[in-house]
Amino acid sequence: MSALILLTVFGIIVLYLGFANNKTILAPVAITGLLITIFLSIKDWNLGSKYFHDMMIIDNFSIAFNVSMVIITILIFLFGVNYYKRMEHYVAEQYALMIFALTGAFLMTSFSNLIMLFLGIEILSIPLYILAGGKKTSFRSNEASFKYFLLGSFATAFFLFGIALVYGASATFYLPEIKTYIAQFNGQLPPMLMVGLLFILIGVSFKVAVAPFHFWSPDVYEGSPTLVTAFMATVVKTAGFAAFYRLLGMGLLPLPAPLEKTLWVMTMLSLLVGNLAALRQTNFKRLLAYSAIVNTGFMMLAMLSQHDSSASVLLYYTFVYSLATVPLFIIFIYMKRASSGLEELTIFRGLYKQKPWMAVFMTIFLMSLAGLPPTAGFLAKYRVFVLSISRGYLAISIFAIVMAIIGVYYYFYVLREAFSESDNPNPIEISRLNSALIVVCGVAVLLLGLFVWSVPI
Amino acid sequence: MKDISSAIQLIPLENYVFLSVALFSIGMMGVLFRRNTIAILMCLELMFNSVNLLLTAFSAYHSDPAGQVFVFFIMIVAAAEVAVGLSIIVMMKRNVDSVDINLLNRLKW
Repeated sequence: MSALILLTVFGIIVLYLGFANNKTILAPVAITGLLITIFLSIKDWNLGSKYFHDMMIIDNFSIAFNVSMVIITILIFLFGVNYYKRMEHYVAEQYALMIFALTGAFLMTSFSNLIMLFLGIEILSIPLYILAGGKKTSFRSNEASFKYFLLGSFATAFFLFGIALVYGASATFYLPEIKTYIAQFNGQLPPMLMVGLLFILIGVSFKVAVAPFHFWSPDVYEGSPTLVTAFMATVVKTAGFAAFYRLLGMGLLPLPAPLEKTLWVMTMLSLLVGNLAALRQTNFKRLLAYSAIVNTGFMMLAMLSQHDSSASVLLYYTFVYSLATVPLFIIFIYMKRASSGLEELTIFRGLYKQKPWMAVFMTIFLMSLAGLPPTAGFLAKYRVFVLSISRGYLAISIFAIVMAIIGVYYYFYVLREAFSESDNPNPIEISRLNSALIVVCGVAVLLLGLFVWSVPI
Repeated sequence: MKDISSAIQLIPLENYVFLSVALFSIGMMGVLFRRNTIAILMCLELMFNSVNLLLTAFSAYHSDPAGQVFVFFIMIVAAAEVAVGLSIIVMMKRNVDSVDINLLNRLKW
């Protein structure tokens, strides 16, 4: 709890530092706050503290996910030092809004009551609507922001309607009580409860962008400022899945058969639709958006194979995915700047000739996303498949493996451009801090792939 | 509080559910088919408020105050959301001088 309070306070402090007209102190202050937050979070390990009449339970699960999200946010802030250098105004707000969004993410990992889940989702989403519209004069950014706002609120309305119906049936918002209430029906649920659960699942699926509720994500990813896109693709996705897992594990499992089938169909759809759409993308940000949808499918697979180790596999997968995605967006920012604002895949042409080390690290990140050894992405996918096959979901696991193989094609399409013979006439200027960070991320992706770690959560 | 609860209970619960579902559907149709962004925002509010009505009715019937507390949370969040939404619309209006949703087509799948 102290971590959550401290995070809010630091968000406000960073917001007010905007008056100081000194951009250089913002990132250090924000990162200090995040580091203290990690320290305070880890101090609560194994305590399992409960707050607000059990509306929030901070257990090891939430601490592990919180720490992983804070680490990724620190990474994004470190990249932000350079990214926001040319931005004149409102830099403090960018950092502050990301910290506020992170506060919502903390609530999403530690709720045990539907009220807290709702508040967490909204506290996460509302700053993101603003961040997506960060480039005020660019109409594409406006459009992304409005689309995200519209579809996000629409999904929230469905989610709320579902909560109201479940409340009407069970007279409680407390997840363990809902669980016992559902269990007494032995799978034969009354229609109102069934519709309520369906609406809740639709609302949450919308937030994590599972197909067929993924239509907003490529547009929003493309239009938003790239660093915000990186934040959305990693931290928000992690928070969404932590919330989804906790919602299922604490309250809704075992799901009635029709709903469980729906979730499996959604998993397969995200794998299929994401892959097919990614194959014909020419814009790099959209490509990564569809790759995010495919990865969502794998995360769903890990989540739905209910087992004691599901949470740990999910944490590993989201963390490894985030660790590879953030630096890819950063490399993309540099290529975009070098090619004066283009976002096509062709801007990577000739990267190897000009900056060989950057092309090599890009290979590592893309291989990790595609799930090839020796990177951590391979181990993450391997653990998901081991989990799902051991739970007896053989057919869908084979389907997912085939989809993972198809995915290699479009990741390597980007690599083919990067390693092509033609010269890139535009010089790429990369700051020393960012080169160091990209190297650190690449080494981390390789090292995490060498040995299996699992957190007891 | 007691009086209000008993007053709410004068009408059968089904009627509240039907009314909320009707309001929710009207709001949903509005969001899907209206072309003016301000009207869409109002329809979103209608959807939120139908949920509020439903929660209040259930809360009175279950004699459980938690539902009514949730209504306050929803109202606060909806207010914050509309504030952000309206400012986004103002931003759009400044750039293209229109609030029509058909203009939102520069990002394509």
